Amino acid sequence: MADVTFLDVRRLPADEAEAADVALAMDEDAFRGFYDRTSGALWGYLSRISGDRQVADDLLQESYYRLLKATVVFESENHRRNYLYRIATNLVRDTKRSPRPLFDAAVEVADVPARDTHGDTEARQDVRRALGKLKPRERAMLWLAYANGSSHAEIADVLGLKTGSIKLLLFRARRKMAAALRVDQ
Amino acid sequence: MNPLTHVNADERDLSEAEIEAIVADAMAAEASTARREAHPPSSAIVWWRAQMRARAEAARVVERPLTIVHALALAVSVGLFIGVVGTAVGGVKGTLTWFASLYASLTATSTSAAAIDLTSRWIMLPMTAMLVSVVIFSIAAFVIFADE
Repeated sequence: MADVTFLDVRRLPADEAEAADVALAMDEDAFRGFYDRTSGALWGYLSRISGDRQVADDLLQESYYRLLKATVVFESENHRRNYLYRIATNLVRDTKRSPRPLFDAAVEVADVPARDTHGDTEARQDVRRALGKLKPRERAMLWLAYANGSSHAEIADVLGLKTGSIKLLLFRARRKMAAALRVDQ
Repeated sequence: MNPLTHVNADERDLSEAEIEAIVADAMAAEASTARREAHPPSSAIVWWRAQMRARAEAARVVERPLTIVHALALAVSVGLFIGVVGTAVGGVKGTLTWFASLYASLTATSTSAAAIDLTSRWIMLPMTAMLVSVVIFSIAAFVIFADE
């Protein structure tokens, strides 16, 4: 920092543009491609794990920003995606907001698209209520396994667990989800 | 297919494969709904916001050492000021003593004003101290407020 003068500070907003580009881990085209391929699914993950669409909106951008600032060297797109989900999972874990309006029936009714049949609407409400009865980690695990199609190793990587424990944890989560769905009948 | 139709039977009667199929169907249906609900901001906006934020953070990182420099400059100037004032106080005491003795000698012996020794340390020391303190304060003030 010895070469930075006081006059340089005044010029920083203009001069830092190139430095900021260097500081981000991806170039714009690569980022935009990756974002377009993953943002919808990540929003779904965030909204269902946190139970709050507003939280999902907020954390989506934060997740991508942290990915851009990460110094990790990614071996593949899958590796990058799993890292992104890991960031997102940690952000949800650190979120202090307690309300989970997504899992409240009153809110859900308004969210249902008009073309849905009554049966579909009820089924969706039941699924969300059942998800609401699970712990965030169980929701994350089921979502990664059945909505994203992640392998046990990938789930373990995202959730920071041992790969060997995933099979049993998934088994329990499935049982709990099935029981919650049955109770909601 | 509504996955819940499978759950009408007692859970214990279902095999693990059936439970897995029910949960998988439910999650797939919910994922499909989530995809329809998702309206993430465009990649261009997210990229632009990331750029802005990275710039702001870079600026903060550069400014932080300057803040430390400000604090150090202030601390040094305060230290110097205290030192100079301490020296000056001693000089003022000496000056007062010198004036007292001068007054005594003038009244006693009617010594001429030309006899006063302006190079005496009791004159030079406070004058030098005041001059140094004015210069130091000017420099410190410039360093601290130059970029504001």
